[in-house]
Amino acid sequence: MEGLRVEGLHKQFGDIVALRGVDLEVPRRQMVGFLGPNGAGKTTTMRGILGLVAMDAGSVTWDGSAITDEDRHHIGYMPQERGLYPGMKVHEHIAYIGRLAGLDRETADRRANDWAERVGLSERGNDPIQELSTGNQQRVQLAVALVHEPELMILDEPFAGLDPVAVSTLSDVMAEQVERGASVVFSSHQLDLVQDLAEHVTIVAGGETQATGTVTELRNRSTHRRLEIQWAGPVPTWSPPDGEAQDAPPGVSRFVVPAESDAAALIAQASSAGTLAAVSYEPPDLAAVFLELVGS
Amino acid sequence: MSWTLVKEVADREIRTRARTKSFRVITGILVAAAIIGPIVSALWPNSGDDLRQVTVGLVDVDETTRQQIVAFAEGNLDLTFQDYTGVPPAEVDQALSDGDIDVALDTGPTLVWDRETDFEIAGVIYTALQQQEVLVRGRVLGLGEGDIAQLLTPLQVEERFADELRESDGVVEGVAFLGLMLALNIPILFGQLTMMSVVEEKSTRVIEVLLGHIRPRTLLLGKVLGLGALGAGQLLVVVGGLTAALLLTSALDIPASVWRFMPILVVSTLGALAVYNTLFALLGSLVSRQEDASQVIVPVFIPILGGFLAANGALVGDAESALAKVLTLVPLTAPMLLPVRVARDAIAPWEIALSLGLLVVGVLVLIRIAGRVYEFTLLHTGSRVGWDQLLRLSRGAALD
Repeated sequence: MEGLRVEGLHKQFGDIVALRGVDLEVPRRQMVGFLGPNGAGKTTTMRGILGLVAMDAGSVTWDGSAITDEDRHHIGYMPQERGLYPGMKVHEHIAYIGRLAGLDRETADRRANDWAERVGLSERGNDPIQELSTGNQQRVQLAVALVHEPELMILDEPFAGLDPVAVSTLSDVMAEQVERGASVVFSSHQLDLVQDLAEHVTIVAGGETQATGTVTELRNRSTHRRLEIQWAGPVPTWSPPDGEAQDAPPGVSRFVVPAESDAAALIAQASSAGTLAAVSYEPPDLAAVFLELVGS
Repeated sequence: MSWTLVKEVADREIRTRARTKSFRVITGILVAAAIIGPIVSALWPNSGDDLRQVTVGLVDVDETTRQQIVAFAEGNLDLTFQDYTGVPPAEVDQALSDGDIDVALDTGPTLVWDRETDFEIAGVIYTALQQQEVLVRGRVLGLGEGDIAQLLTPLQVEERFADELRESDGVVEGVAFLGLMLALNIPILFGQLTMMSVVEEKSTRVIEVLLGHIRPRTLLLGKVLGLGALGAGQLLVVVGGLTAALLLTSALDIPASVWRFMPILVVSTLGALAVYNTLFALLGSLVSRQEDASQVIVPVFIPILGGFLAANGALVGDAESALAKVLTLVPLTAPMLLPVRVARDAIAPWEIALSLGLLVVGVLVLIRIAGRVYEFTLLHTGSRVGWDQLLRLSRGAALD
């Protein structure tokens, strides 16, 4: 497979087993959501990919070969806890990381200018980082992760703490990077965003991979379906035989039913109980699937 | 190991620290002190202008005698004369009691003191009067002016010291002490800057971004070399300023051992910068916050202070004691002992070579150990890494 492949990562810190078999694939030119509850092992896995933490077992390959230091120069990393030199100027900081990633001085300077402009900080290039707002510091963090135009982007909770405008900017940038040919893997607890952005999702819990696939595949793999009925008249007392009623606005009934339910039969039963205005029958959203897999 | 990345890290450290106000102020003060010291010393009124002031009361003394006294006082006393001709003796005594004059001279010739003889003043006046008298008697005896002048030619008395170094000991000790202070303070200053830099990268979490592109050993080496170069630059500027000022003003007569000491001071301080920058970086990597740095800094001051005390002892006492000899060979204390013993001319060439060789080996071993520790401690957050864990890491064991 072209791209990143992580297989069977194991890591133990003292008595704590952080990873007990994490698998993750990030094909080239794809955006992958990496989900899991706190302490599931997402950050440790990302650090393992970057070589920041030595793994006890497992493998990390890039385009089929064991990942090397040279490969790592082509990774852009945005850590969960933002990391910048407070006293360094914006342009200088972006260019410095660019040079550490292997760019020559001239290219690093040019890219620093380009990225400062792209994230909306072209006027603040000579300001020290510590004088920027938290949101603007996160924009710098993004520019730092992208200045060397990496082939693989690893973003750990990139949307945490961002306002809607910044979320939109970051989402656009991530999509542009995939369009450019980069692979992107990001973790997030904002599952609606993941559902909108990611083509593939891997869910980890307890240090193990619980599920992986496209968003549609994961939703379809759920053992439940959501049945929503909008009534044209009064709401009847009807409910599906194995259904569980959910909160719903006036004039609407919502149920969670087993995935193996016969949708046509349920709709027929409902229509005999009352007058239907609209019906939807679909897999649960990613958030519900996530909760199913990792527990509430 | 990528030397391009080492240079990038070193450049950043130099630019960041050199830009700080505190660094510029400290360097400015040191350079100013090094340059201004000898200049002020040269411009300060010399010993001739700094003579003891003496007031002599003259009672009916002629001008020739007065001029003779002035001639003999030159270079010894700064004389002022007050004419007491015709003044009653009681008033002259009162002037002595009141301190208006230090001594009175009349035509007796008699020297009148207040309570006791001042032999320095008496010596000058006696000699002048004696010479005046020889001149008068010579003329009476019919001697020509040339014969009299020959008779009065002063005897040249030379001085020598049993200990040849004694004459210049003050200069040697002064310069060696200045060098010792530089060898002590520059590594402490730049070591602490190195530690602050490491802790800053940990506390701000920028270390995670850096380590995505650069290996811990490369980062460590860049930091040690960058701040070491900055320290060396500061040292060279200060020593250069001092040397130039000494040469230009000729403020002091510099003994040869001082010139031998200068290059050894520079080399050993460079060694100290490498040793202590590495040690401070290693200790900085054990903590996650600047406020926790004080918890780990104490052990590094033990060899620093031990070396300083031993070097100070070698400076003012026995520079060839067993303790001084042993500590000259220990890389942690050698940078302080070596220049002092060279300045005192109390070290064999083979000892200098061995000391510098061991210093280089010590630096390499220390960088290797620190690099090993650094790889495990840089991403460690929360409570500091314990000493037992540090010991295990330095032996090559992994940390859980």
